[in-house]
Amino acid sequence: MFKKTYFLTAVAVVAFVTTSNLQAQKPLAFQGAKIITMAGDTIENGTVVFRDGKISDVGADIKVPVEARVIDASDKVIMPGFVEAHTSSGMSQANETNPVVPYVSVIDSIDPMNSYFRSARRNGVTTVRVAPGNSTLIGGQAAVIKTGGEFIDDMVLKSDAGVKISLRPVSGSRMGHLAKLRKALDEAKRKLDKKKKAEKKAEKKKEEEAKKKEEKKGEADKKEGAAKKKRTRKNRVVKKKEADEKEDKEKDGDKKEVDKDEEEKKDKDKKDDKKEEEGKDKKESESKKSDKKDDDKKPEEVESELDKAMFAILSGELPVMIYCDKAMDVGQAMRLIKQYNFKASLVLGKECYKAAEQIADANLPVMIDPQLVFFEEDPRTKEETKIVLPKVFRDHEVKFAFQVGRGGGTTLGNTYFWYQAATAVKYGMPVEEALEALTTLPAKFLGVDEFVGSIEEGKDADIIVLSGEPLRVDTWVEMTVVNGEIVYEKDKDEQLKLLLQGETE
Amino acid sequence: MMLVAICVSSSFADENKSTANLYKASKVYTMDGEPLSPGQVLVVDGKIKAVAESIDLGGVEANSIDLGENSVLMPGLVDAYSQTPLSSTGMDEITSEVTLDFQAIHSIDWDKNAFRRQLHAGTTTVNASPGTQNVLGGTAAVVKTMDHGESILVEDGALVAAMCNDPVSRNSSRSRPDSIYIRQPTNRMGVVWILRNTFNKAKRSTDQNAYTKLKESVASQRPLMMVSRMSYDIVTVGALADEFGFKPILVGGEEAYKVKEELVERKYPLVLKYDNPGTTRGAEGSELCWNNPGILAEAGLTFAIAGDNLLEKARFARRFGLDADVALASITSTPANIIGVSDRVGKIAAGYDADLIALSGEPLELTTSIRWVMVNGKTTEANNQKEN
Repeated sequence: MFKKTYFLTAVAVVAFVTTSNLQAQKPLAFQGAKIITMAGDTIENGTVVFRDGKISDVGADIKVPVEARVIDASDKVIMPGFVEAHTSSGMSQANETNPVVPYVSVIDSIDPMNSYFRSARRNGVTTVRVAPGNSTLIGGQAAVIKTGGEFIDDMVLKSDAGVKISLRPVSGSRMGHLAKLRKALDEAKRKLDKKKKAEKKAEKKKEEEAKKKEEKKGEADKKEGAAKKKRTRKNRVVKKKEADEKEDKEKDGDKKEVDKDEEEKKDKDKKDDKKEEEGKDKKESESKKSDKKDDDKKPEEVESELDKAMFAILSGELPVMIYCDKAMDVGQAMRLIKQYNFKASLVLGKECYKAAEQIADANLPVMIDPQLVFFEEDPRTKEETKIVLPKVFRDHEVKFAFQVGRGGGTTLGNTYFWYQAATAVKYGMPVEEALEALTTLPAKFLGVDEFVGSIEEGKDADIIVLSGEPLRVDTWVEMTVVNGEIVYEKDKDEQLKLLLQGETE
Repeated sequence: MMLVAICVSSSFADENKSTANLYKASKVYTMDGEPLSPGQVLVVDGKIKAVAESIDLGGVEANSIDLGENSVLMPGLVDAYSQTPLSSTGMDEITSEVTLDFQAIHSIDWDKNAFRRQLHAGTTTVNASPGTQNVLGGTAAVVKTMDHGESILVEDGALVAAMCNDPVSRNSSRSRPDSIYIRQPTNRMGVVWILRNTFNKAKRSTDQNAYTKLKESVASQRPLMMVSRMSYDIVTVGALADEFGFKPILVGGEEAYKVKEELVERKYPLVLKYDNPGTTRGAEGSELCWNNPGILAEAGLTFAIAGDNLLEKARFARRFGLDADVALASITSTPANIIGVSDRVGKIAAGYDADLIALSGEPLELTTSIRWVMVNGKTTEANNQKEN
């Protein structure tokens, strides 16, 4: 299919490399293709060069490094890899049975060997946000990951990509469901307010203490010792009581002194944190923190994983994806967003098209239901109405990203990501807009647009090589490149051969 | 709103009888030779009067309808095997496994929403067939999708037999000897036995009024459709056909690609149920090959693609390897041939029924939409499906 030219010595193509190997990666260049960059003009007969997992150069008339492996892509079309804004595929179990679990993460559940990823690479999806399913009240945390890789650590692009809040009760009433949600949020809010107050207080106290420190050093030590004694006594009492009561107690008066201590410790840790980088490192330090506390035998001081996650949600550090099953849920979602200042996006069920106006006003990232076309029957007259989701939302000027169905459905083929865009075009969406909805728009929704979504210098080397114009019926993804590595080649796709030919030679 | 629309459409219908309409499209797939580009189709009184790159009206008054840039006309689609028009209680008889004289025509629910959907998806002619939970369920009827049975093409058509697991799965008698379900076979051997037994009875029968339809089918006077999906069932159909001397139309054929050599030898026409391409398992747990149509075409077999949303199925067959021409034929002229109505539908040619679909672009592109569907000269425009 491709004429492969090797400069210097021939190097075998390694399917996946770990990040450490990236440094040693040989530059890769595709020549002679029509490049739909999704960042300005389309380049005819263009060249794109990858180095160290990034796009190092793209244009019509550019120099290819002599050491680069050059792939002739004339008559091909090159596009940025597709970005899927929301899926619950690729994990071993999408829904946690406990209702409030904002601290769990899909990263612990993603199975890189899941057939979803194989299909994703085959269909040109290079970046995907894997999110918990829609059946948990406050589900876990989503992650934006690349579809190429054998170990989850090599795949993660963004690990705190939002917590799923589902407004659909799995059992019981919607009243009860929302009450449960509010209770969890209010409880966390109270704790957070208290924490903030205490933080302020502690800061003031610290300033005062700094002044008095040298003089009254001895006295301060005594105080702390007394506090310790008090706590251990309390602890014993607590252990005898029921678990629920324990939580209440912690919240109440006897926590005050504990808080003081906690804040002191926090400040110390904060200094440590500043030295280190954010992200993973932070997590490490947090775990160190809790280790220390365990050593001190002060379990009630530990800010629980639940609290941490809830605080992050309430302070807007951690965005939420609100799943609205019915149109009525959209209104509830708006109320919640207003009340708790969520940084939110909406994952919409089929019926939510009825709230299109409200959704348009909210101006939030929106992911529409995978079933783009369906029928609704008037219960009395049995008269049927055909609903075309992309049409409704476009009429209301809502920008949306597509989802794909699981396993199939009445709209034949909605398990293909680009098929969704083709369907939208069928019902009036301009091709350009459809391609944006597969690339730049979801990248923006996910906050990873500085890395993926378009072919520009400095962005991640995630591209797909198509046999022809995108969205055409006989266009296939011939090659998928993730972080500068070829992770899919149609020529070598034995499973596809089996599905197409019934047998392999 | 709906009432007004209906009034308009009926007044139009009257006009249609006396006027001629000339449709101009940038491309016309006639399915009768190469496509015309541009093309014109003259429709008079529900029939196609002429089709050409340019039609000289010669003084005949006609409304000229220019469909504009990128517009494509093609024949209305023909579904060679469908249960969609049948009322939900009208497909399967449970008191007997052989109901030769039952007719699907009496079970058609003309107002069924799913049936209307077929029309809006471009299907204009459908072979409404009895279900497969009987071993020999009765005869199918060829009807149009729009006119509430005004123009029935074949009232008492192909006999439908099940050489598959469906009659077995219907048996829920458990161990109750008094159950009506006890008549159904409980395994696949039973299905074959009932088929063989019935064919034998028909063969031996001297009574002119008994087993008439089956006798007609064996004598090739009436099409015999046999529903078979698994490769081994298709082989069994061949064995029974040899034994009793009939030539069946194979319906289903999910695993036909596995026995293509045998099918080529026997030259059975096929009606492929091309459901859920893109998954790996089909009905009865059959192993799906996405390019089943392409493989069968390459082997030289003739087949129609059947089911709801035919155009979409043809698109997927194209994507997975079938030639575009064959894909289009498999939802128009070929099914018309197989169900014996090729003199009236499946092509755009003079003298054929005016069943057309107007498209926004190439029929097999996923981005192409259906603008309107015409059945016997009447378009769906005035009778439009409510959208959004």
